[in-house]
Amino acid sequence: MTMMIRMYIHKYFGSLHVLKGVSLEVTKGEIVAIIGPSGSGKSTLLRCMNQLERIDQGFIEIEGIVVEAAGDIDVKITATSQEVRATYRKMGMVFQSFNLFPHMTALGNVMEAPISVNKVTKAAAVQIAEKQLAKVGLLDKKDAFPSKLSGGQKQRVAIARALAMNPDIMLFDEPTSALDPELVGEVLSVIKKLAQEHMTMLIVTHEMGFAKEIADRVIFMDEGEILEDSVPKEFFENPRHPRIKTFLEKML
Amino acid sequence: MEYVLTILPILMKGLKLSLTVYVIVISLVFPLATLAAIGKVSGPRVLKRILFLYTWIWRGTPLLLQLFFIYFGLPYFDINLSPLVSVIIAFVLNVGAYETEIIRAGIESIDKGQYEAAKALGMTNVQTMRRIIIPQTIRRVLPATCSEALLTFKDTALVAAIGMGDLLRSAKEVVTTDFRITAFFIAFIIYLFISSILVLVFSRLERKYSIYE
Amino acid sequence: MMDHMEYILNILPFILSGLKLTAKIYVATLVIALPLGLLAAIGKVSGSQFIKKVLFLYTWIWRGTPLLLQLFFMFYGLPVIGIRLSPFAAATITYALNYGAYLTEIFRGGIESIDKGQYEAAKALGMSYAQTMRRIIIPQTVRRVLPTTCSEAVNLVKDTALLAVLGMPDLLRIATQIFTRDFNITPFVVAFVLYLIISSVLVKLFGKLEKMYSIYE
Repeated sequence: MTMMIRMYIHKYFGSLHVLKGVSLEVTKGEIVAIIGPSGSGKSTLLRCMNQLERIDQGFIEIEGIVVEAAGDIDVKITATSQEVRATYRKMGMVFQSFNLFPHMTALGNVMEAPISVNKVTKAAAVQIAEKQLAKVGLLDKKDAFPSKLSGGQKQRVAIARALAMNPDIMLFDEPTSALDPELVGEVLSVIKKLAQEHMTMLIVTHEMGFAKEIADRVIFMDEGEILEDSVPKEFFENPRHPRIKTFLEKML
Repeated sequence: MEYVLTILPILMKGLKLSLTVYVIVISLVFPLATLAAIGKVSGPRVLKRILFLYTWIWRGTPLLLQLFFIYFGLPYFDINLSPLVSVIIAFVLNVGAYETEIIRAGIESIDKGQYEAAKALGMTNVQTMRRIIIPQTIRRVLPATCSEALLTFKDTALVAAIGMGDLLRSAKEVVTTDFRITAFFIAFIIYLFISSILVLVFSRLERKYSIYE
Repeated sequence: MMDHMEYILNILPFILSGLKLTAKIYVATLVIALPLGLLAAIGKVSGSQFIKKVLFLYTWIWRGTPLLLQLFFMFYGLPVIGIRLSPFAAATITYALNYGAYLTEIFRGGIESIDKGQYEAAKALGMSYAQTMRRIIIPQTVRRVLPTTCSEAVNLVKDTALLAVLGMPDLLRIATQIFTRDFNITPFVVAFVLYLIISSVLVKLFGKLEKMYSIYE
């Protein structure tokens, strides 16, 4: 079993201790759902993994390479900065507010990074982009600008954009929270497809039913700590922590 | 340093003129522009056309040309005004045109629902304007009006072009008379100082009035 | 009426020659000020502390003082300390620095208005900061600030009239000279009409430009 991600994180926002020694290991092909109340630190955790937030103490190791180490610990970064950058590129991220580039068409959005970052030719990028757009079911919208797409379509383009970089790990930060209810399904189907292809994924979500259906593991976070980490069946039917019981009752 | 002290009185006298023109102009502009804006929005067709021509011409041509025209050109029609009066008229007309458009845009940005609610409550057009629309418009156009007021302060320097002894002209005369560049530096500092104070005052004003946005 | 028309036709060539100078300074200013504004804005946003301080002083001074004072300084002040520039050079530099300062703030405001999520998405895709600026942020900024930039470009037409005060033979100065010579306000009226036509045409053109670029909003 290949270890994809290993981490131990302390993080502060000013004096607020948002991640209190969070420790996590993810193996290849695992689908991990991270749930919990707002302010629990779940988005922050995800954002620390790809350097959108810096950690204050601890380390992050991706595919065996230490990409970040801070504070008083034994782990050190031994890779070159180039190797570190290349490692971060193995992770793709999908944001709650999509963050599509409004001045480019759907095709343009998906093509941009392969060209700028992976230095592929324009023709090759078009092929990659069309393949990914087809995968998310939006090939017919490739020439549309984001302003003309629905929320669900925008998010699917965002997923295609991240996939075009051929990541080993996909991070989803509340991918459906900003969508109208009737548009949530189309995005979840795409994520389900990825799950069937055994993409390693970490999904921060409020969609309990979805988490139950596709996740291999469910992690519950509250106030900067992981309170439970178990398989969905056990988690939803037999949660150990009382706070989890209260949370589930509120959500379901 | 001593030199600075000798020329300062001359520059201050010029500053007094600049500020006099400025204060008179901005006190007159706002009420006039408000009336003109209301005229543009809800006046009779003829009035709307005249006001359209007014703002079109006065915003589409240089202030300096307008200044020259009123100061040098009006005597051609046997209208002889004192320099101060012609300058004030020219500025009021110019700044007024910009401010009219600013206020007009502000009025038109007020949601139609406000008019509908007022009408449903039985208010007349005049009451609606006076009690509901204009108060909201004032708050909304405050930022644009303040930046217009800031620009106007710098524009007062143009009176130097028609020989009026404002701060700029005084500075220039000192520089060419004494053949020393110091007066310009002082003028820069004074203008910068006053415009910065105006910026602070206007930001305070804007913050105070945007509490309900 | 015929005399009037004849008179206008007589003075028109002179006034139009003034227009040539106005146009030259106008184009020269924009050619310098636009790139200057963009670069300075990027500097203000992502430059070193030193650069940021210098640029802050630049925009503060050049936007906080009258254009005419800056022109007087270049024309009458510099010779005093031994710097002699051609009138055209002095004028162009002054206008370019003045408008550059305003454009810097306009572009900076535009850059800062771009949602932080755009930077995050680009970073998550592995793009460098320079790539992000070049491919994602600046293109959006240009579209966003187009209206304001265009209205500054129209303002410049009117500000060129200040050349008249410096004795340069622009449109306004020539009109004024003819007025003084003939004591007839017709040249002023002609000047009004010409400026009005130019500014209105520019407004229309810029309006078209803005429409072209707002297709994706």
